[in-house]
Amino acid sequence: MGPVELLHMSVFSQSFSPCGRFLAAGNNYGEIALFSLSAALSPDASEASQKPILNFTAHDGPVFSLLSTDTHLLSAGNGEISAWSWAELIKKSTKAAWTRKPSYETSLEIPEINAMIINPKDNSLIVGGGDNNIHIMDMETGIFKSVLKGHTDYIHCLCFKEREEEILSGGEDGAVRIWDSRTNRPVHCIEVFKYEECARPQFGKWISCLATDSDWMLCGGGPSLSLWHLRSMSPTSVFPLPGCQREAVFHQDLIMSVGEGPYVSHCLHGGTVKAQIPCTPSSLNTLALNLKNTEHRVMTVGGSSHQIDVFTNFSYRAFSLSF
Amino acid sequence: MTAEGSKINIYQANNMNKNCYLDNLRGIDVRVYNEEVELEVRDPQQDYMLYKDTCAALAKLMEEIQELKAGGAKSVEIEERRTQCSVHFITLKKLNRLAHMRLKKGRDQTHEAKQRVDVLHLQLQNLLYEVMHLQKEIGKCLEFRSQHEEIELVSEEEFFQEAPAEISRPHVTRDDQHQLTLARLDWELEQRKRLAEQYKMSLARKEKIQKAIEQKREYLSSLQPGLQNIMQASLPVQEYLAIPFEHMQKQAEVARHLPPPLYVLLVQAGAYGQACDKNLSVSISGDVDEAKALSRPPEDSQGTSVSTEHSQTLIFFSSVQLDDKRKEMLRRHPLSLCVDLKCKDGSVLHLFFYYLMNLNILTVKTKVSTTTDLSGAVSAGELLNSESLLNCLYASDHGKETPNPANRYQFDKVGITTFGDYVSDLGHPFVWVQKLGGLQFSSGGAQVALSASHMERTMKLLRGRLQARLALHKQFSSLEHSIIPVSSECQHLFPAKVVSGLVRWTTMSCQEFTELGFVQHVLKAGLVHETDLFFMATVERGTARLRAAVVMNPRYPDVAPLFSLSLHWKGERSGRTDDNLQAMESEVNVFRSELQGPRPGLQLLTNQIQRLCVCLDVYLETESQVCDGSEGPKEFPREKMCLRTARGPSRLKPFKYNHPQGFFSHR
Repeated sequence: MGPVELLHMSVFSQSFSPCGRFLAAGNNYGEIALFSLSAALSPDASEASQKPILNFTAHDGPVFSLLSTDTHLLSAGNGEISAWSWAELIKKSTKAAWTRKPSYETSLEIPEINAMIINPKDNSLIVGGGDNNIHIMDMETGIFKSVLKGHTDYIHCLCFKEREEEILSGGEDGAVRIWDSRTNRPVHCIEVFKYEECARPQFGKWISCLATDSDWMLCGGGPSLSLWHLRSMSPTSVFPLPGCQREAVFHQDLIMSVGEGPYVSHCLHGGTVKAQIPCTPSSLNTLALNLKNTEHRVMTVGGSSHQIDVFTNFSYRAFSLSF
Repeated sequence: MTAEGSKINIYQANNMNKNCYLDNLRGIDVRVYNEEVELEVRDPQQDYMLYKDTCAALAKLMEEIQELKAGGAKSVEIEERRTQCSVHFITLKKLNRLAHMRLKKGRDQTHEAKQRVDVLHLQLQNLLYEVMHLQKEIGKCLEFRSQHEEIELVSEEEFFQEAPAEISRPHVTRDDQHQLTLARLDWELEQRKRLAEQYKMSLARKEKIQKAIEQKREYLSSLQPGLQNIMQASLPVQEYLAIPFEHMQKQAEVARHLPPPLYVLLVQAGAYGQACDKNLSVSISGDVDEAKALSRPPEDSQGTSVSTEHSQTLIFFSSVQLDDKRKEMLRRHPLSLCVDLKCKDGSVLHLFFYYLMNLNILTVKTKVSTTTDLSGAVSAGELLNSESLLNCLYASDHGKETPNPANRYQFDKVGITTFGDYVSDLGHPFVWVQKLGGLQFSSGGAQVALSASHMERTMKLLRGRLQARLALHKQFSSLEHSIIPVSSECQHLFPAKVVSGLVRWTTMSCQEFTELGFVQHVLKAGLVHETDLFFMATVERGTARLRAAVVMNPRYPDVAPLFSLSLHWKGERSGRTDDNLQAMESEVNVFRSELQGPRPGLQLLTNQIQRLCVCLDVYLETESQVCDGSEGPKEFPREKMCLRTARGPSRLKPFKYNHPQGFFSHR
C-alpha cells in the first residue's frame, strides 16, 4: 500500500475477537487488518503497536461486513462469505476456513453483501446485500436454506430481535421490513420516508442503519435518525443530526451514531443530541463497541480514512490505529 | 819603590796594587806591598780586638790630654800624646781599610758564587725546557694519525687471500704489524690504480654511447615533420572512411588535462555511447592552455589573478578579500564536458558538466534544442526550464545542496551559507552527476566502477525525462486550447461520448496550491514537495464546475500526478465531504496503472483528465436520481449505461467503465 492508496482508503467494517483483545477491520481494497488491542492499550504502547499485526487481502471487492462468532471471523466480499478461524488469525495464518456464496439470479454484476447477522436460536447466518434479497445460511451445514424477498432495492442493514425472533432489514428503497425468522414471512413494512417528521427529501429515502433494543428501534439514513416504538409502529423521537447516519447503537442510556461528518453523536432517548465527539476520518462508516472484555472496553470508529479512532473514554478520542 | 810613585800615600796603596799588576804585566819584577795578601793572613777577630784596644787607648789619651790641658801642662806631653793619637788614628784607618777590603772580598766571593749558581740554574732551566719539548714531541708522535688510517683497507683475511705474494709477503708481514700495514697499503694502491683505469675506460664508453644516442635522436626528430605531412594527407581519407582518428587523437590529447572526475565521465560516456547508444556524443570544451597552466606550479597564475583584483578601494578591502576567497573556492576547471543526447524525434538534450576544483564536485547545466518550435503553451513554461528540467531525476535528488560533506567546512571559512545561491551560475550538483564522475562521498576518490554502473541507468533516465517533458509540452498546448488529446491506443479506456469538457488548464505556484482548502489532506500526508509542479484543471458541464488541483512530481511519468477535486454544483463539495468525489479521486489516483497508455506512459496525465470528465458525467447524471421533490426536467439526463446507480454502505456511483460493453459498474 503506497501513500496514495492509503490516502484513498475507507474502512467499512469492524469486529472484535471473542476474547476481546483483537480488532479486525475491513477496507475498500478488500483487505482485513488485525490489530492487537492489548498492545495498543498497554502503557508502553508505541507507534508500532498502532499498526496491524496482520494485514492480508481477503476478497476481490471491498469488505463491507465483518461478524465474529465464538470461534470464527466471517467476512463478506464481492458476493461471497469467508470464514477465518480466530485462533489461526492470531497465529498469523491467512487461510480461510470456508468460503460460500449465496445463489444469485443476475450474472452480469456480482452483488455485494452489506450486512450479516447471526440468529443464535437456530445458529443461522442471515446476509443481505446487493441483490435485494435476504439469504439465510445454516452455520453447521453451510447450506443456504431460505431467501427472503421483498425489497425493491438493495439491502443496507440487518437487525435481529431476539425475543420475538424477528429479522429487521433496511434498504435503499426506504423500507424497513420485519420478517419472522421461524416462518420466513414478512410481518411488517415501514416506509420511513413517508413519515413527515423523519423524512428528508433533499437527501433521499434510503435506510442505512438499524438497531433494536427490546421494543425500540432506531433507523436512519436519508431520513433523519429516529427512535421508533415497535408496538405502535410510530416514531417517538427524531434526532436533529445534519448528515445521513450509517450506523447507530444503543449503549446503556445513550444512543451513539456515526455517519456523514467527522464526529460521533451521543444522543439521549428523548431526542436531544448530547454531544458530538470529533474524529479523524471526514465521514464515518462503522462503529463498534468492545463489551466482551472489561479490560479493553473501547469504542472504535472507522470511515473514509486509513485510520481507526479508538475511544477509551467514550467522550474523547484517545488515539488512532492505522492500516 | 818605583820611579813614578815617589810618595807613599796610604790612599794610593790601592792604586799601587794596580800599578804593580800593570808592572807585572809589563814584566817588571818588583816587590810590592800587597795588602790584599795581608788580608788573608790576618784574623778578623784579632783585628776587632785591636780596634777595641785602639779606641780605648785613644780615649785614654784624649782624657790625658784633656787633663793635661786643664792642668796647664806642657805641650810636649800633649804633643807626644798627640802623636800617639795620630798613630792610633792611622791604625784605625788601616783597620777601617781592612774592614772595607774584607767586605769587598766577601761581596766578590758572594757575587762569584751567585754567578756560578745562576749559570747552573740557567742550564737547569734549559734542560727542563728541552725535556718538556721532547715530551711534547713524543706525545705528538704518539698521537699522530697518519692518513693511512683513514683509508679503508680490506680485511686481513681478504688481503691475504687476494693479494699476490710479492705484495703480501706473508712471511714478513704475519709477524710484523708495521710491514703488514705497509703491505696492505700497497695492495690498496694497486687496487685503486686498477679501478681508476676501469673507470676511465667506462667513461670513454659512455661518451661514445651518448654520442650515438644524440645521433639517433636527431634522426628521429627529422622524421617528425614527415609524419605530420602524412597525417595531414590522410585526413581526407579518414573523413571518407568515417574513422575520426585524428579527432579522437586530439580529444585524447586534451583529455589528458581533464581533472579525474571529468576524465572518468568522458571515458565512461564515450564507452557507453560507442557500445550501447549511437545517439550519445561527448566532446570537451574549454581552454586547454589554462588547464595546462593549472597543472604547473601555481605561483604565477594565482599571483596575477589575485593582484589584479586587489586594485580595489581600501574601504572595501576586507569584503573584497572575502569575495575573492569565495570566487577562488567556487572556481571551475577551465575544461568542461558536453554530452548530447539525441532523441528519435530529433530533439537534443545538451548537458554541460563542470568540475569545481576546490570543492571536488561536478555540476551540470542543461539546454534543450528541438526541431519544432515549442511555443504557445503558457502553462508549460516551467517544463523545459533548464533550472528545473533535471529536478529529481532520481527520487529526492534536488541538486540544490552540495553532496560533498567536506564542503560545509570550506563554506564556513568564506562565509557561504548555501550553495543554492550559486547554483544558477555554476550548475546543479546532482548526486547522479557525482556518481557518473565516479565521485562517491562516503569513500572518496574517483572510482571508475561506480561511474560505469550508473551510466546506463542515468542516460536512460535523462532521455526519458526529456521525452516526457517534450510530450507534456505538446499536451499542455493542447490542454490550454481545451482539447484533451487522447491517442488512439487509449480510446478504449473511455466511452465514445463524453459531454463534460475541460475549460481551463493553468499552472499554479506552490504557495497558491497550499492555500487551497481541498488539498490539505495531501499536504498532511507529505506527498507535496517544493520541487513539484502544480496545475489547476477546470471541467464543466452545464452549471456544474469541477476543479482539480494537480500535483506533478518532476519524475513524471514514473510518479503519477495526484488529483484533488472540488465540485461546485448546488453547493460546494470536495473529496473530503463527498464519498463519491473521493471515489472519483481514487479512479484517477489509485487506478493510474490503467491509464498509462502505451510505453513509456507519457499519456498518463491526459488520460487522467479524460477519465475525470467521464466520471463527472456519471456523477451528474446519476445524481439526478435523487427524488428531491423539485419540479421540471432533470438538468442532466441519463445517457450513460449503468446497471446500478448506488452500491454499498456509502452508496457509491459506478465509475468504472467496461469496454467493449460500454456500461459502468462499481469496483
